[in-house]
Amino acid sequence: MKKVLETKSLNKYFYKPVEFHVLKDINLSIYSGEFVSIVGPSGSGKSTLLYAISSLDREYEGEVLFNNTELKSLTNQKLAHLRNRSIGFIFQFHYLLADFTALDNVMLPGLKLGKLSHEELEEKAMQKLDLLGIADQATKKVNRLSGGQQQRVSVARALINEPRIIFCDEPTGNLDSKNAKVVFDMLKNLTREFDQTILMVTHDDSFSSETDRQIQLLDGKILNRETR
Amino acid sequence: MNRLPILKIVITHLTSRKRQTIVSMLGVTFGITVFIFQAGVITGLQDFFIEKTINSTAHIQIYQDKNQKSPPVLLNVYEDEQTWVSVPNIKSKNELPKLKRGLQIVEILESYPEVIGVSPSLSTQAILKLGVADVSGVINGVNIRKENRLFDLEKDMVNGSIIRLETVNNGIILGSGLAESLGALLNDNITVVSPGGVALQMKVVGILDTGLRDLDNNRAYSSIRNTQKLMNVTGSYITDIKIKLNDVDQAGMLAREFQSRFGYSAEDWKQANEGIFSVFRIQNIVTYLVIISILLVSGFGIFNILSMMIYEKMNDIAILKSIGYTDIDIRNIFLLEAVFIGFIGGLIGLLIGFVISWITSVIPTNIEGFVSSEYLNINFDPAFYLLAFVFGLVATSIAGYLPARKASKIDPINIIRSQ
Repeated sequence: MKKVLETKSLNKYFYKPVEFHVLKDINLSIYSGEFVSIVGPSGSGKSTLLYAISSLDREYEGEVLFNNTELKSLTNQKLAHLRNRSIGFIFQFHYLLADFTALDNVMLPGLKLGKLSHEELEEKAMQKLDLLGIADQATKKVNRLSGGQQQRVSVARALINEPRIIFCDEPTGNLDSKNAKVVFDMLKNLTREFDQTILMVTHDDSFSSETDRQIQLLDGKILNRETR
Repeated sequence: MNRLPILKIVITHLTSRKRQTIVSMLGVTFGITVFIFQAGVITGLQDFFIEKTINSTAHIQIYQDKNQKSPPVLLNVYEDEQTWVSVPNIKSKNELPKLKRGLQIVEILESYPEVIGVSPSLSTQAILKLGVADVSGVINGVNIRKENRLFDLEKDMVNGSIIRLETVNNGIILGSGLAESLGALLNDNITVVSPGGVALQMKVVGILDTGLRDLDNNRAYSSIRNTQKLMNVTGSYITDIKIKLNDVDQAGMLAREFQSRFGYSAEDWKQANEGIFSVFRIQNIVTYLVIISILLVSGFGIFNILSMMIYEKMNDIAILKSIGYTDIDIRNIFLLEAVFIGFIGGLIGLLIGFVISWITSVIPTNIEGFVSSEYLNINFDPAFYLLAFVFGLVATSIAGYLPARKASKIDPINIIRSQ
């Protein structure tokens, strides 16, 4: 299987307020089509790890290879292009542009990519919204939608450019259990039916147990050795 | 690169914060409006004054400088370079300021292709009396037809007509201010007394109002013959030759030529009005300073509003960056918003400025002072509109660029981590 992401001796320190070694010598690989979860108690460095390997935080030591390209070697411009083309994000707080409609939010990464005409893109965005069961909400402003609907819009937005990998940071953390289940099932469905690679940070064991592989983090170290 | 996504974001930002957008637009609009109005009024007044000045003073005037002093005669005797001659208290030549061969000079001047009109004249101070009122003025002895061709006096006549100066014996045309202080009306008989003691009864055949207060307050016209009588001189006596040119900008050059050719002083209209032009220059500096400070204030307004907006939009910026928008995209979004505000605000400012100027120009104001005019003369020169617009755009772009650049440097991880 093709490696999408690999870290080599990844270390990360916080310097404020005091020096703190957050990530300790992390070596991991994510393969194409995998549904991987990072689990661990709060404060174990899950989110920090996700930010470092997802190109958001580049102040680390060691290497993060995305498609065999070291992230630190990229200019801001190229990094932005990489995020646009190959990475989708879903955060705990939905992180949508409040002034825009659901459809516009989904279209934004596609507009930036500029591969499709406006009409084609709109159609594609509608398909994604439909896939997530919220096509009827497309023309509403996102701040009129419920939390679960908003998070589904985020998923649709993450999907629009058909990224190589989607990073999720506690995607269900801010939802009630019913909506959390709906969103998680959709993510799972994406990996099963569309072979989408997903890396998800969660503290919910019932969700992580349904993923292909769990990476357990404790005090900045990976507990289980990688099996592959 | 496809610019469409940015445009979409810009428009959404601007329309979703309508009040902020309108307030910052108003800042620009106000600045531009004041710019247009103030520049229009000030330069309009100046143009009006210059036009009046050009129309009522000669482009070139040839005259005998009364203060010319002859070199001491001792120099004729002691030509030796080693000799110093010092003669204190030299007086002006005891000679009338007559232009010798004046009428011949007029003929020569008329043959110049650049010259469109020549008017010989002589002038003298005089006391004008009507009953108990007496006022001093300057009597210009002119050939009224020639003078009219130069200065279009007919247009400025408020009473009577210029041609009566030729038909009425001892006719006189008074400046409006002069007539007023004398209390003289059309067809009144007044007494004119020259410094030489000659007194003439004259009949007011016209009243002239040029709009230039200085002239209207002390100038009167009479025929050359009558003025010569007043001055007690012979028929060929003239003191000034006034010249009108095709192209006013040649005045300086031709004045120098005439001066060397005829040996008399020749002054062009710019020299004659030097003081006023320097006042205008200072006035213009003040005008531009006021305008610049207004635009600076509206620039700061935009700077503040955009800075606040960026603070509010921290999340949006982080999201946009995480979905692949570059630093430059982010900068352009906010810069474009500023330019958009400047563009629309500026256009509205131009429109309002024009309307206010136009309204002002048709409301009678009856200004009395430096110049008198029934309406404010306002300059609608498109160059001002262009300048104001460009200036407004530049100011808003600079005001927008600084916060925009700050926005582009926001690192999304700091925003995302802090949630």
